[in-house]
Amino acid sequence: AAALRRAAGSRGAGGQGGGQGPGLEPSLLRFLVCPLSKRPLRYDESANELVNEELGIAYPVIDGIPNMIPEAARRTQKQAEAVKET
Amino acid sequence: AAAGLGPARPFLARRPGALRALLGLARGLAAGPQTHFGFQNVSEEERREKIYQVFENVAEKYDVMNDSMTLGIHRVWKDILVHKMNPSPGTLLVDVAGGTGDIAFRFINYVRSVRERQLQQKLKRHQNLSWQEISKSYEEERVKPLGDSQVVVCDINKEMLKVGKQRAQHLGYSEGLSWVLGNAEELPFDDDKFDVYTIAFGIRNVTRIDLALQEAYRVLKPGGRFLCLEFSHVSNPLLSRLYDLYSFQVIPVLGEIIAGDWKSYQYLVESIRRFPPQEELKEMIEDAGFFKVDYQNLSSGIVAIHSGFKL
Repeated sequence: AAALRRAAGSRGAGGQGGGQGPGLEPSLLRFLVCPLSKRPLRYDESANELVNEELGIAYPVIDGIPNMIPEAARRTQKQAEAVKET
Repeated sequence: AAAGLGPARPFLARRPGALRALLGLARGLAAGPQTHFGFQNVSEEERREKIYQVFENVAEKYDVMNDSMTLGIHRVWKDILVHKMNPSPGTLLVDVAGGTGDIAFRFINYVRSVRERQLQQKLKRHQNLSWQEISKSYEEERVKPLGDSQVVVCDINKEMLKVGKQRAQHLGYSEGLSWVLGNAEELPFDDDKFDVYTIAFGIRNVTRIDLALQEAYRVLKPGGRFLCLEFSHVSNPLLSRLYDLYSFQVIPVLGEIIAGDWKSYQYLVESIRRFPPQEELKEMIEDAGFFKVDYQNLSSGIVAIHSGFKL
């Protein structure tokens, strides 16, 4: 888990999510959900990540492979704002 | 709870060592209950980390090692698994812990040949086809060689997936194949999606097998099939002795010579011994809700295929 967190940290810290590399295989969208909530995700093509609006997290797509490990998900701006407000 | 701590608090305040010990215990408990890594006893979190590192280290040499350790017989076991599956074109497969793609590629080959045979049979049956109809049939095969079959390979290890993707490119697999980085205990797939779930030589490395089995049940469609190919227990005493000898004397040495990694292969051999035997695994699969659960021993029980259905 520490190794995963390290890898996630290096990607998440920049707040870039996926960004570079090929995009997600469109056929995957019919299967993929958030591993935590099992709820649908929104594919953000420009940032190359899968966003869970409800939880305010985004899973990066690296080299066309979606990283669906919860530790790898980055907190989106919206969640950070919500936290600030409370 | 605070009231309960009442008499204890002044006691703890006067004994900082005790408080520290309690905190240490709490931290230990937070890391999760004790489990095993091969023959060692470790916390669940530690086990996950150590296993991740094992596969990170062996990923590049994984296929070579499989061939050397099993004298190529692992290929036969995997062939048998896919033949047992007998997928028809249009099947949706999720291959968990599928890392380097062995099952996925076999699945694709299988449905491709079934589809070819289907189209050939269709042509043979209709003797008076026009050229238009014949060329339409060939076009069908060209456009949809797999007939809507799809396989999603899911693995928790980045390195293994990387190797798998490279192999796929090398061998020319692209149609109907996709890769996802995910945890078998917490799958990123929606309910009731797949026709078949396979896990080949992967479930042994999952820390919470019960969770993985529950997830397998969840993502399968009603009528869907669970198939697990894994090292199991040899009941024949003579064969068992020879197998132990080979496992503990030869395999780690091969690991050191070929992959420069004795410890990872020592873990591998130990993990096989720690894994539940055929009947116990069958019960665990039944506990997850599967019906008509049975198993087939291969190579006298060195390996077993467990199968179950979601009704």
